[in-house]
Amino acid sequence: MQQQDYKELSIIPDLKLNIKKIKEISGGSSDVLINEFITGNIKCALICCEGMLSTATITELVLEPIVNIDTKKDSHELFHYIQNFLLLSTDRPVATEYDSLFRLINSGFAVLIADGINKALAFGVQGYAVRSISEPSGEGNIMGSHEGFVETIRTNMSLIRRRIKSPELVMQLFVKGEKSRTDLCLCYMKDRVPSDLLKRIHKSLDNIKLETILSTGYVRPFVESENFELFSSTGTTERPDVLCSKLIEGRVALLIDGVPFSIIIPKLFCESFQTLDDYAFKPYYSTFIRWIKYFGFLISVLLPAVYAGIVLYHPELLNSTMLMLLVEAEQKAPLSILTESLFVLLMYEIIREAGIRLPKPVGGAVSIVSGLIIGDSAVESGLISTPLLTMTALAVISGFVVPELNDTLTILRLSFLIAGGIFGLFGISILACAVLVNICSTEDYGFPYTAPLSPFRPAGLDDTAIRADFPKMQSRNFTVEEYHE
Amino acid sequence: MPKITKTQLTAMLLITDTFTLLCFHGQISVLTITGFLCGIAVQFIMSLPLAKLYSSGGTIENSGKIVQSVYLIYLLLWGGTLFSMLWRASDVIYIPYENSNGIWGKLLIAGMIALVCLYSSSTGLKAVSRSAVIAMSAGVISLLIVVISASFGSDWNNILTTKTSDSFMTEVTRGFFLSGGLGSFAVFLSYTKGSPLKNTIYYFTGKIILTVTVTISSILVAGGIMKITEFPVVTAGQLAQPFSVQRIDSLFLIIFAVFAVFSIAIQSLASTELLIKIFPKFKKLRTTSVLAVMVGTAFIFTGKNNSFINIIAIGIILFLLPSAILLKRSLSK
Repeated sequence: MQQQDYKELSIIPDLKLNIKKIKEISGGSSDVLINEFITGNIKCALICCEGMLSTATITELVLEPIVNIDTKKDSHELFHYIQNFLLLSTDRPVATEYDSLFRLINSGFAVLIADGINKALAFGVQGYAVRSISEPSGEGNIMGSHEGFVETIRTNMSLIRRRIKSPELVMQLFVKGEKSRTDLCLCYMKDRVPSDLLKRIHKSLDNIKLETILSTGYVRPFVESENFELFSSTGTTERPDVLCSKLIEGRVALLIDGVPFSIIIPKLFCESFQTLDDYAFKPYYSTFIRWIKYFGFLISVLLPAVYAGIVLYHPELLNSTMLMLLVEAEQKAPLSILTESLFVLLMYEIIREAGIRLPKPVGGAVSIVSGLIIGDSAVESGLISTPLLTMTALAVISGFVVPELNDTLTILRLSFLIAGGIFGLFGISILACAVLVNICSTEDYGFPYTAPLSPFRPAGLDDTAIRADFPKMQSRNFTVEEYHE
Repeated sequence: MPKITKTQLTAMLLITDTFTLLCFHGQISVLTITGFLCGIAVQFIMSLPLAKLYSSGGTIENSGKIVQSVYLIYLLLWGGTLFSMLWRASDVIYIPYENSNGIWGKLLIAGMIALVCLYSSSTGLKAVSRSAVIAMSAGVISLLIVVISASFGSDWNNILTTKTSDSFMTEVTRGFFLSGGLGSFAVFLSYTKGSPLKNTIYYFTGKIILTVTVTISSILVAGGIMKITEFPVVTAGQLAQPFSVQRIDSLFLIIFAVFAVFSIAIQSLASTELLIKIFPKFKKLRTTSVLAVMVGTAFIFTGKNNSFINIIAIGIILFLLPSAILLKRSLSK
């Protein structure tokens, strides 16, 4: 039976027909368990999905109280008694259609139907196997919390609530995905979030037409601008503490069930360089680290291109010692500098991808083989010059200071290399203009990605050019609305 | 059309002014600087009716298609002039591929710049104005490096000894001709937040500081060889060295390329805005058409002296038309 056939279909007051219909809709799926029993002298059935609920909870809190109910006049009286006199679980929705009934069953609820009544009572007794809270793998942190999001949306909601106990924090659960029926949760601080932003995000979410939602990448295109943007104007985080800091600044977060990442809207370019550790250290050290990251970003994008451009077309920029050193090294290499650089960068990308996709023990071996054996032998054999390999390695390592931007950095690094290798610094400049315009055109919901640099907001430099003291930053009472244009 | 800030307007216009200065052809002396300053002062006085027009709620866009067409023609011609300036100045700047491939190299370089301009213009005024602020900031830092490098080991006597053969009036005319982005100034002033008069003063103050800085540093570095220098500002950029073993002429190439792109993109953006107003139904390939006309105009202008035409045109768009519109508005009241 197709979803559209039963979407509007109501539960009927006949237990046998209801069970038949449920079996028909589920296609006799083995994990849908239907337990028929009699309580209060009325025929009932408790339906649940195997593996989605806690056996101990359902036995102790639902089954035992329900089967001990005295004789009731009819099903309506029985349901009225269960609803009003028995507190079987804290989450007790009522379903009147098969569509919502199945959504509840598949979300780990136990659903009670009875003969003679056209509705179903559900009890939240979820107890499926979940990954325990662990340290985030992608957002390293020294001084902050070591808790990261997990795949269960309600656990993630609790991780946020534990950090912001204010009633101003609103979490709105809703369902998206025709087939997956994924739970999504929109989080925001109602006293901080710009009302227009919230309204527009709701509108964007209404336009989501997806069969399944299996990662943040499914939803992000719907909440981002349709224009071509090199950098994403929404961010992601797997850290509840980072998310809370964004919510306090008036941003909106979107949690997705089954995904240990949350989407943050809107995101600014400068935020890619901010980590929670910046706020744990002394301001002068944090400022220093932040500038290291800015330089790291530029080195990562431009170093191979500038190296190729200077060595090939603008050697006058080098002093004589450096020039002789490079000439000597490059003379031995059989390939042109551009080809050599492209080869090294592409090989690195292949090795990196192999390292990620392979099982961890094998991935480590790949790194050793590629780094030590291939790299060393390539230099020893004279296939690649040592300075070029050094530059490429520096560029790649520098990119790791902003892991969030790694995908964009990779493409930009290659593009700039080609531009620099063919047209020298002129090519790099021309491409830089196009990239700059693209970054400046990135804007979602009226929040420019390049703020507070352009449009220039001097107050915003407190947490971009430097990292000011907390009392100073706190006194500003900053919200993202300051950057709205 | 979105509103921009006065900093964004000034950055956009100063980029075009800087590019015009970079491509400046001829000798520079103290007399030239004085002439330039007088020229800028005349430009400022002439732009007051325009500021007054915008302050009183009037705009070019509300003044009929003929007025809009005059501004559009000026912008297209000026865009072409910028392309021809780029070609001329690129002869003395080393651009790989261009220098070794003759006319095809030149066309390829112009094509690349036009392509980036096309993309930039298509993103709209907001994006271009935001990126212009960043480009101008980077440009100012680079220019400061050039200026500081120029001041080390330079012969300060050059300021007194460097002479040009032209008269004071010729220098004023040349300064007036160095109009940079006056056409786009006329268009974008109405899109700028705040008082039009204050925005005008802000822009012209920046223009004076920029002109004085660039020209003085050019005299300091290239003063001794001014007579044999075709493009003094370019030469100054190439010769300025922060350290005895470190050259920075490639830094100058970066400024040149970035400012070339933004200068032309800004003209094309302003032209496209007017084109929309004049021909609302002309939707597809607007920016491409504008850039194509500019490149075509560049072919006509290359190697020709258009100073006289330009001076007349500036007079019309900056003073005559706004004054006439103002007069008409006051008479109709």
